[in-house]
Amino acid sequence: MSERDHDYEDAGLVAGLEIHQQLDTATKLFCDCPTELREPEESSRRFTRYLHPTRSELGELDDAALEESRVDREFEYLAYDTTCLVEEDEEPPHRLDEEAMETTLEIAQLLDARPVDQANVMRKLVVDGSNTSGFQRSTLIATDGEIETEEGSVRIEDLLLEEESAKRVEETEEGVRYSLDRLGIPLVEIGTSPDIRSPAQAREAAERIGMLLRSTGKVKRGLGTIRQDVNVSIAEGARVEIKGVQSLDDIDDIVRTEVGRQLELVAIRDELAARNAAVDQPEDVTEVFAGTDSGVIGGALSSGGSVMGVRLRGFDGLVGREIAPNRRLGTELSDHAKRHGAGGIFHTDELPAYGVTEGEVADLREAVDAEPEDAVAIVADSGETARTAIGAVADRARAAVAGVPEETRGANEDGTTRYLRPLPGAARMYPETDVPPVKPDRSEVETPELLTEKVGRYEREYDLDRGLAEQVAYGRRMPVFERAVGEGVDPTLAATTLESTVTELRRDGVAIENVSEEQFAGALALARDDDLPTGNVGDLLSALADAPELTAREAVEREDLGGASEDEVREAVREVVERNEEQVHEEGMGAFSGLMGEAMGALGGQADGEAVSAALREEIQKRS
Amino acid sequence: MNPGDRVRADRGDRTYEGVVLPSSTDAHLVVKLDGGYNVGIDREAASVDVLAEGVHDIGEARDAEGERSAVEFDDELPTIALISTGGTIASTVDYRTGAVTARFDAEDVLRAVPDLAGRANYRGRVVANILSENMEVPIWQELASAVSEEIEAGADGVVIMHGTDTMQFSASALSFMLETPVPIVFTGSQRSADRPSSDNVMNAVCAVEAAKADCAEVLVCMHATGSDDRCALHRGTRVRKNHTSRRAAFETVGSGPLGTIDYDTEEAVFHRDHQRRNESELALSPALADDVDLLKFTPGMDPALLDAMAGKSGVVIEGTGLGHVHTDLIPRIEELVDDGTTVVMTSQCLDGRVCDRVYDTGRDLLDAGVIEAGDTLPGTAKVKLMWALANADDPAEAMETSLSGELRRRSTPWA
Repeated sequence: MSERDHDYEDAGLVAGLEIHQQLDTATKLFCDCPTELREPEESSRRFTRYLHPTRSELGELDDAALEESRVDREFEYLAYDTTCLVEEDEEPPHRLDEEAMETTLEIAQLLDARPVDQANVMRKLVVDGSNTSGFQRSTLIATDGEIETEEGSVRIEDLLLEEESAKRVEETEEGVRYSLDRLGIPLVEIGTSPDIRSPAQAREAAERIGMLLRSTGKVKRGLGTIRQDVNVSIAEGARVEIKGVQSLDDIDDIVRTEVGRQLELVAIRDELAARNAAVDQPEDVTEVFAGTDSGVIGGALSSGGSVMGVRLRGFDGLVGREIAPNRRLGTELSDHAKRHGAGGIFHTDELPAYGVTEGEVADLREAVDAEPEDAVAIVADSGETARTAIGAVADRARAAVAGVPEETRGANEDGTTRYLRPLPGAARMYPETDVPPVKPDRSEVETPELLTEKVGRYEREYDLDRGLAEQVAYGRRMPVFERAVGEGVDPTLAATTLESTVTELRRDGVAIENVSEEQFAGALALARDDDLPTGNVGDLLSALADAPELTAREAVEREDLGGASEDEVREAVREVVERNEEQVHEEGMGAFSGLMGEAMGALGGQADGEAVSAALREEIQKRS
Repeated sequence: MNPGDRVRADRGDRTYEGVVLPSSTDAHLVVKLDGGYNVGIDREAASVDVLAEGVHDIGEARDAEGERSAVEFDDELPTIALISTGGTIASTVDYRTGAVTARFDAEDVLRAVPDLAGRANYRGRVVANILSENMEVPIWQELASAVSEEIEAGADGVVIMHGTDTMQFSASALSFMLETPVPIVFTGSQRSADRPSSDNVMNAVCAVEAAKADCAEVLVCMHATGSDDRCALHRGTRVRKNHTSRRAAFETVGSGPLGTIDYDTEEAVFHRDHQRRNESELALSPALADDVDLLKFTPGMDPALLDAMAGKSGVVIEGTGLGHVHTDLIPRIEELVDDGTTVVMTSQCLDGRVCDRVYDTGRDLLDAGVIEAGDTLPGTAKVKLMWALANADDPAEAMETSLSGELRRRSTPWA
């Protein structure tokens, strides 16, 4: 279904984006710890906490927070030698990190957004434990920006600077375990207005924003460092927030599929209306399955559980109707059952199957008085879970009668989405009194060169072909490239090393991500100074990948990669010339290119071409 | 235009719409936008229209002085008096300054800490509404009287909510002023009550459990660790705030705490000797000498500081090491003593006992008439001297005797 393109104007598609990007600053947003990710095993201390709901500054208690806190969950936190008391909520936050503020103002400039006169740090209530404080610090830095796409401009509503949350490690018996390494890394959030009208425009807008962000050279790269949320609605549908689109390439698919899903739900709604559909109260149908061969149902019953069913009047054939690739209305019902702890549902559009017999289906229909045009959904689980889950299923089925429900959904890898939770209410926010307001200082902010501009300049000034120029400019080692070229390294050598060589090494299983910017720059500088034959650059990087503590020069010495000495070159060249004395005698300099290859071969790539060629010229001259 | 009004501010080519907040300054109008974010808008550069007046009632703090709160009574439960003096545990955001200030009364604390419900019948009472750095001697006396009244009226235990900065001084003061048949438990919080992670809930719950326990002493009940797992119960005269911000800032100096309250099981466990319920009769001796000072000696100290002590009835010196000051200061100290000032020596080592018989300086100090406070903490010694000068027949002897567990005869830090 995602293959089919819809008439988006006709459908009344309205979409907006929310893009979260981690900044690559030296220290965290509110303390002086490094922004370094760690493995849970490296943690050196741990502690546990509870969170309690609080009144907002206007005296209101947050219902959602209250709801959440009723479940008495214990949060465990892993701390490291790279985290401090601020992450543990044991020390007030330090002042807002200046580097993060500068980068955010740079981003504001690129988004054509206007910074506020005075930025006020806020606390956004979050009681799921992902922030030790129970809130996320978030600051509105700029508003009213705009980016261009082929289908028209997209307004930027706001640019926020926030702290990244703690990473969820796993569920524990009492609650959740979180890791503090990520907590406090600066994060910008860019929200667009709902100006997007097609899947292609959504993708283009996201790509444009991504390009602008990377143009600063100060954003983190790699998995999880950028997260994209998409809000989608159609005229007859409802606002749906889709969280956690990991890849830019998926955005158009996600929007297309969501439009299709909403259109299908609208069609189902119309069909249900025509059939006068309704949803009954759930009832216990355990008896129907007393002697069942179904593994799922039998398993639930044998551990003392029950089977709850609900008659869906007028739903026959519609529960099994596909609304997105491999997802049916039944899948939506099942998502709701799962959120309430059940494994899923069975419904009559797919039965008999899964060990449920035709006879049992007939008995089930009879048990709930279902007519042929009705469908029946069932949940088998422990009594309490089965009851709450079937209630959620019935609620979702009722929503189908009304049309498309507003909700928060999560992006699946295949471009479809799944139900996560209801839309959040307005965020509960109150001022972060521990951090004084900041006046954004725009005087120091430079406008960075855009990546699109960089590509042009690399082609023009460095003579790189377009493909390589793009690879370098958009690649994560662009800052190393610029630094190396600035230090006099040949641009082609720098570019091929940072892209082709690195790709080959990675393919060969070298842990190239261990090589630091400093080591890359060092390796290229050695090549520039002829202290490293270009043929050895790959070997050096490979050695550095295993020795993060060494400088490039130390690794060259340890691995003996410095190449042939001047004497060795001279010796090798002399041998080649002597072996071909006759040819030299006859052809003079004409023999040069032939012998050059032989000499390079004899040195096994351990010598710099220029040094060999100089020595060869000299030796030929001596003899001709 | 007033706080609570809904306004539209035009600023250059932007328009902000929202509710005016009292944290606005002369330079910046602070507006809460519909999304919840606050922004400061340059007043001079913006033109502002009021769209609607008083959309939000951001009212002033209620004057809670002396207010008594009524709570439903359950015969099965003990009665605990909750006395508020202000501090972080009962604080909220101040719109004017943007800072955190104390402004809840005891009933508000009950409302803010629903977990307290069902543990006891509460009698709420507000003695003061101050940040604890603003604590003063008359408030100690008022507090002691209030506690005494509550016990007399049948309270089975007393919980005092207090700012953490000077909690140890107030705990000492009550330790000397009161003889008590029931627990008197100080508690507070290191992280303000307006955040979900505040330690106030667990501290308050554990303090109430401590007030129900069988330990009739003045205690400080605060987090034992950085986790929300248990609170330590410190003897009021041996406790000290040893960290500016951590939850587990309070420590018993020279030994471990008397006991702990497990947050999960609510169980009180005592590891050290303590006074049981009803071993003492209720007695109140609230008189305090208000001209006592604590003087910390450090190298380079201006001798004039000692001159400024002339005429005071008492001075506690926080000396170096075993209890020393610069030799040149000894004659001045001798003059003080001769003029009738009681001079008491403690050590800035905090841990350990002063002993002025080991070195010449010490012997000279003793000869000058300085009284050794043993291993009494300097802050505790100051409060004790204030009390001793007003209540003891022989203040010097009192300073060398343990009155409320503040001075130990045996040095057994491992015990």
